[in-house]
Amino acid sequence: MWDKLHGGLKEPLVHFLLAGLVLFLFFALRGETVDPESRRITISEPQVERLVAGFAQTWQRPPTPAEIDGLIRDYVKEEVYYREGLRMGLDQDDLIIRRRIRSKMEFLASSEAENARPDDASLQAILDKNPQKYAADMRYSFDQIYVSTQDEAAGRARAGQILASLNADAPWEGLGDTIALPPSLESVDRTSIARDFGDEFAAALNGVKSGVWIGPVVSGFGFHLVRVRALQSSAKPRLADVRQQVENDWRATTIREREAKAYQAMLGSYTIKIAKP
Amino acid sequence: MHKDEIRRPIWDRIVAAADRYNDPGKFTAFIGYEYTSAPDRNNLHRVVMFRDGAEKAGKVLPLSAIESSNPEKLWDYLENYEQTTGGRALAIPHNGNLSNGKMFDDVTFAGTPLSIDYARRRQRWEPLYEVTQIKGDGETHPLLSTRDEFAEYYRWDRGNFGTELKTPDMLPREYARQALQRGLAYEAKLGVNPFKFGMIGSSDSHTSLAGTAEDNFFGKVAPMEPGGGDARYDESIIVPLEKMDGTRQFGYESLASGLVGVWARANTREEIFDAMMRREVFATTGSRMRLRMFASWSFTAADKDTPDLARTAYTKGVPMGSDLTGTGTAPAFLVEAMRDPDGANLDRIQIVKGWIDDTGKMQERVFDVVWSGNRKPGKGGTLPAVGSTVKGATYSNTIGAPVLSAFWRDPTHRTGERAFYYARVLEIPTPTWLAYDMVQIGQHALPKDARLVHQERGYGSPIWVGSQ
Repeated sequence: MWDKLHGGLKEPLVHFLLAGLVLFLFFALRGETVDPESRRITISEPQVERLVAGFAQTWQRPPTPAEIDGLIRDYVKEEVYYREGLRMGLDQDDLIIRRRIRSKMEFLASSEAENARPDDASLQAILDKNPQKYAADMRYSFDQIYVSTQDEAAGRARAGQILASLNADAPWEGLGDTIALPPSLESVDRTSIARDFGDEFAAALNGVKSGVWIGPVVSGFGFHLVRVRALQSSAKPRLADVRQQVENDWRATTIREREAKAYQAMLGSYTIKIAKP
Repeated sequence: MHKDEIRRPIWDRIVAAADRYNDPGKFTAFIGYEYTSAPDRNNLHRVVMFRDGAEKAGKVLPLSAIESSNPEKLWDYLENYEQTTGGRALAIPHNGNLSNGKMFDDVTFAGTPLSIDYARRRQRWEPLYEVTQIKGDGETHPLLSTRDEFAEYYRWDRGNFGTELKTPDMLPREYARQALQRGLAYEAKLGVNPFKFGMIGSSDSHTSLAGTAEDNFFGKVAPMEPGGGDARYDESIIVPLEKMDGTRQFGYESLASGLVGVWARANTREEIFDAMMRREVFATTGSRMRLRMFASWSFTAADKDTPDLARTAYTKGVPMGSDLTGTGTAPAFLVEAMRDPDGANLDRIQIVKGWIDDTGKMQERVFDVVWSGNRKPGKGGTLPAVGSTVKGATYSNTIGAPVLSAFWRDPTHRTGERAFYYARVLEIPTPTWLAYDMVQIGQHALPKDARLVHQERGYGSPIWVGSQ
């Protein structure tokens, strides 16, 4: 019996109920008067409509009359508990409530920016300030012949022979070893080249003369003989092409700025004293 | 927190953010959420993914495990979503290894035997399984695959989320390979396979950082960030409740990552989602290797060397994730793996076969089908290890091969046999994140069982043979 009671005393629920009893006794003994108006709960038609709409949104069907009564009962229960809880001061020093209110405040300060539509001029200004950021990658069209390097010296020799034959204007398709990479690529950007062939290969294409076979170029898989056919350098980006990206950046910055400003305004009216141990 | 007035604005923000950053052809951002069900602390988590944008996915709210921790209710929810919005969605379970036998259980959530309806619905809504992630790798277990020399790999097998210890009888209902085998048995019994899934990996990191790897691991959660001191290693990821200390799993026991590879025709929501529905996917433990496999009754050895292997393979066969229908002497496979172009070479490709024998017993066998170098299988057909070049936090690609491909025909096939085959590719040994930490952060005391060297791996989705 003692064991059971002892175990029960460790239960968080028991602690909660005991704490509630203590608070209840405290307020009951203090004899604080309660405004009768604060003990009146009126459920209006718009409130019921909101409950119904919330249900329909979740379940994709309207609630039955019994479910509506259930929603209202639950709403009343929540309201009673909420008010009584506030009276008991349960909102004080509650970490979750503090965080929730803080995040509501942060959200309030910046919520307008969530759905705001900036005008073209402000976006153009962001673009003009940092055009490289929004410029498309350099794009390459090129052909490649793969030479396996299972034996590196032999691979190097073979790559050399193939390169010599290529310079003599011989047909190139089918030369070298097979690999699951396309022999000819059309207008691919540096990022995709690095993803498929590795960083070293992508870097090696920098400043390469087009129309000429070069190599061996090293990739993650071995040697390649490469002929760049065409290069598209990154032109100055037009807003119409990068609008979403600029707008995303505008939104992120604006949210940050508005929240910081709102905080500074409130902070300004506070006196902060800090005692460090 | 499950109140709609909280969920609605948060969901609207998530949906809007995914739409704003989704850039078809360049960067795909899916709308999705985790359905975090763990009844009695047995992990039944699912990731829900939508094919659609805000105009459809924004019409619903996520189903919370607080509303129901029964995954069958999630299938109702998905079905309802598709019917009411005309959109499409799927769910991906993960961490069966922490479910204590519940992830691929022999009974439904309500405790009734699996029915044909259950099997149909599970296969329909859960075409994929997340087989590897930070909280352990769930391909198979050494107690189940006793002859698989690579079966021991980050097995988190102490219990569930801290309230119950693991017992060996739970294992077949938690690991992917045995679930696939049992799926075959269920198919024979019910007519439909409830556990017919493709394999993906994911990080499950809680740091908002995508693309983490062993050499840049930022921890599973913020307190485990580098520089946070010993918490990075000593912090418990599985925190035991009272008297269940045996279930504890520490930070140092985790993998650094997990990735999904998808064979899609374009980098868009629609193409990637559809490829996931047809299970044309593979898992990796974090390395950006590529793996694909095809099956056919009519592949020949010469098909492997055609310049465009995929074209030949799609014409004559089916890709991973599919059924090989029809009959023939023996199923033949074309399998190909490329290493991470900025990573480590490959050791070997294996094909894992699971089947039901004539007496109705479940069988499995791992075949080495292609490997690097001139190694010769020794006694009992065991291939010698590839070796190791790992020194501290470095390795070199002087061993292994950057690309491996093979034609393989199953020499053990029996006509009419019900089986599945999936490819497993192994990298050469490389340092783990703990080894990189030693160099990048500094020495720290690690328990004896801390893993400093491992072989990263990829798992392809199965191809099923002999299903009706």
